[in-house]
Amino acid sequence: MTNDKLLQIKNLKKYYNKGAIKALDDVSIDIHRGDVMVVIGPSGSGKSTFLRSLNLMEEPTDGQIIFHNIDITKKSFINKAGKKEKVNINLHRQKMGMVFQHFNLFPHKTILQNMILAPVKVLKMPQEQATEKALALLARVGLEDRANAYPIQLSGGQKQRVAIVRALMMEPEVMLFDEPTSALDPEMVGEVLSVMKELANSGMTMVVVTHEMGFAREVGNSMLFMDEGKILEQGDPKELFDNPQHPRLQDFLSKVL
Amino acid sequence: MCIGKEIIMNNFITAEGFEKTFRYIKLIEQGIFTTIMLALFTVVIGFILGILLAIMRMTDFRPLRFLAYGKKGRIRNNRALVAISKFNPIAFLATAYVEILRSTPVLVQIMIIYHGVFGKLIEIPSFTMFGFLKSNRFIPGVVALGMNSGAYLCEIIRSGIQSIDGGQTEAARSLGMTKVQTLVHIILPQAIKNILPAIANEFVVIIKESSITYTIGVQDLMFAVTAVQGANYIVMEPLLVATAVYFCLCFPTSKLIAYFERRMSRGDKR
Repeated sequence: MTNDKLLQIKNLKKYYNKGAIKALDDVSIDIHRGDVMVVIGPSGSGKSTFLRSLNLMEEPTDGQIIFHNIDITKKSFINKAGKKEKVNINLHRQKMGMVFQHFNLFPHKTILQNMILAPVKVLKMPQEQATEKALALLARVGLEDRANAYPIQLSGGQKQRVAIVRALMMEPEVMLFDEPTSALDPEMVGEVLSVMKELANSGMTMVVVTHEMGFAREVGNSMLFMDEGKILEQGDPKELFDNPQHPRLQDFLSKVL
Repeated sequence: MCIGKEIIMNNFITAEGFEKTFRYIKLIEQGIFTTIMLALFTVVIGFILGILLAIMRMTDFRPLRFLAYGKKGRIRNNRALVAISKFNPIAFLATAYVEILRSTPVLVQIMIIYHGVFGKLIEIPSFTMFGFLKSNRFIPGVVALGMNSGAYLCEIIRSGIQSIDGGQTEAARSLGMTKVQTLVHIILPQAIKNILPAIANEFVVIIKESSITYTIGVQDLMFAVTAVQGANYIVMEPLLVATAVYFCLCFPTSKLIAYFERRMSRGDKR
């Protein structure tokens, strides 16, 4: 872990109904390059909203998200030449891969087409190069023989592994995981977690919202506990699991462990 | 059985009547050709217009949005201002168009387009298409039918787009794709597959509805029928021939599309 701050989140707020519901209530945290940050908390605690705000899938009500020295929540920024420039969120999203609870593979495209679509259309990568890269990544997750299958022909675990490598095709600097194993049959959870673990070991910066406490403890190198839109406790996962300070976290862990 | 010689309309169906009808086979053939051309052009115009209208109705363009916010960027308490701030002129235009076109008879629309728009406002060069088809009748007919079916197709396309799971858009946008790329590569292909039965149904409706253009003198199948009726004082035989032709156009079309629909859905199954 270095001190290189990849994402700085400052006073992030997300309100619904003019502030009656506070999904995110003044959240501030730095994510460093190489971090594997796990986010835990009860449902409705704002952990998914927090994750989805990072690449602006949810538009925050207030606050800053600083990525590459640019506050991506604003419409424009001052560039190095001192000129006002528009924030192009698509450019930043290319650098933030996202994996969803329900996989969200494109059902009308084969696995290979799912993977090469964005690199070819967005990064203008040549088709052959993208295909080669996709096949190499599929081999890494043991699915090279399913390249021409359609998503519906795969199991849940296979779909999620494809979703992970589809995001990796864009060579993101950070990967956001939104409860990646929650929609899986129990016997398929392991195969997805092992891919994520391997990814973490390769040095990828990851933010993982999860209910897999074993994974959080073993793979995470920092952990957030959220409730009611606030970060109640943060620190080293092993420390937090063994010696929780906040009564809410103690209560939560007593229920899930 | 030679009532046809007298100057009275023969209401009975006779073999002689059919024989007379088939003497005008050239006219009927031209009518069939025109009907098919009408339906094809209409569906193309209607589909393009329908996609445009559907996109217009789904835009998030609110030029008066600033009215809702006070000095500190807080939402005002003034309900009237907040309501006005939500006004979307593009969606409003498209919605108004769709509702007006769907709430008035197509016959009236054709008359207005033919006599009003092309009669007074726009002049179309008069020429003959395919050797017999009068452009100054055919073009207004196609435009009117296309404008009408565009309104219906808009609603079909819009429901198709909205039926696609929001996660698809999120996945595409999270990969850095733009709104337009997401629409073109992810949403529309899936939406069109879902709405294919409804579009096919609309195509069959257009084939049948195109018969109404004979009222402005488009030389379609119905036009041939009235010509044969008038020349021979027979009523039923040309109508029965037209019925058979319309059936032979519509029934196989719907069956053909049902076949392609089954083939296309193969990717969805194991």
